[in-house]
Amino acid sequence: MEDLKEKLKHILIDEIKLQGITPADIKDDMPLFGDGLGLDSLDAVELVVLIQKHFGVQISDMEEGKKAFTSIANLADYIREHQA
Amino acid sequence: MSDAPVVFISGASRGIGAGIARRLADSGYDLWLNYHSAHAEARALQAEIEEKGRRCRLLPFDVADEEAVGAALEPLLAEETPYGFVHNAGITRDTLLPMMSRQDWDRVLATHLTGFFLLGRLFSKAMLGKRKGRIVAVASVSGETGQAGQVNYAAAKGGMIAACKSLAREVARRNILVNVVSPGLIDTEMIKDLPLERILPMVPMGRVGTVEEVAGVVNFLLGPEAGYITGQVIGVNGGLYM
Repeated sequence: MEDLKEKLKHILIDEIKLQGITPADIKDDMPLFGDGLGLDSLDAVELVVLIQKHFGVQISDMEEGKKAFTSIANLADYIREHQA
Repeated sequence: MSDAPVVFISGASRGIGAGIARRLADSGYDLWLNYHSAHAEARALQAEIEEKGRRCRLLPFDVADEEAVGAALEPLLAEETPYGFVHNAGITRDTLLPMMSRQDWDRVLATHLTGFFLLGRLFSKAMLGKRKGRIVAVASVSGETGQAGQVNYAAAKGGMIAACKSLAREVARRNILVNVVSPGLIDTEMIKDLPLERILPMVPMGRVGTVEEVAGVVNFLLGPEAGYITGQVIGVNGGLYM
């Protein structure tokens, strides 16, 4: 579980290209959007693509995505629940 | 293997699409060419493009068939993201609205609009991660002014213009530029049955345009000099509509 969260933090930084932060700066319960990490709606689309690529988990619509993307911890839970 | 940027063109086997393919090959792009059923023409075009030293992949499928679009493109997009997407596939089923069949309406909207939706969704998603990309849709002056006998075609082209402007707003901050080229009367099969002697006097330049004159604008919109242009409709119509 910790590994999964770490991996997600690296994906956010390396592939969504968040500038000027390190994995340690991302708290597990920090909101990914808005006041938290400040991701925008296009980042969310990219994250959907990356989650499918790295974990084979398909987030079919943004309603589902919104729930999964509230924090790293929730996203990790979502991925574990949906992985075959 | 080649490092040249790839451009996907829908409806590329004939007419304006084939002209765009030739022009882009001359500019050094590698090409993924979609077409529906003109296999012989497509293969001849592929040979011509490979002769120019470019890679050319043929992708025959119906752009309005969601399964076919996914089956053809998803495996390719997993490996490589094209730099450009040109939506050119188009058909006409002209007739006055009171006489228009449901099929003529559906088919024309499906090729232009649903085709743009299905292809644009895949390509824009792939381009987002690259933080660059160019999308060019080939519309028509009919989509700007309306045209008797073309309620279906004008609705589809007008819809595509609006869709492109919306997409341009969505993806601009990821450096993905979306524009429309809107040809008037161009010397292709599509105008062979039109009464040109009656229509040409309405064109300020008094002549039809060439495929090359459209392809050159598409080439420009894909190039580095068009780097600050997005959400625009560029008419290539000899002044028919200003």
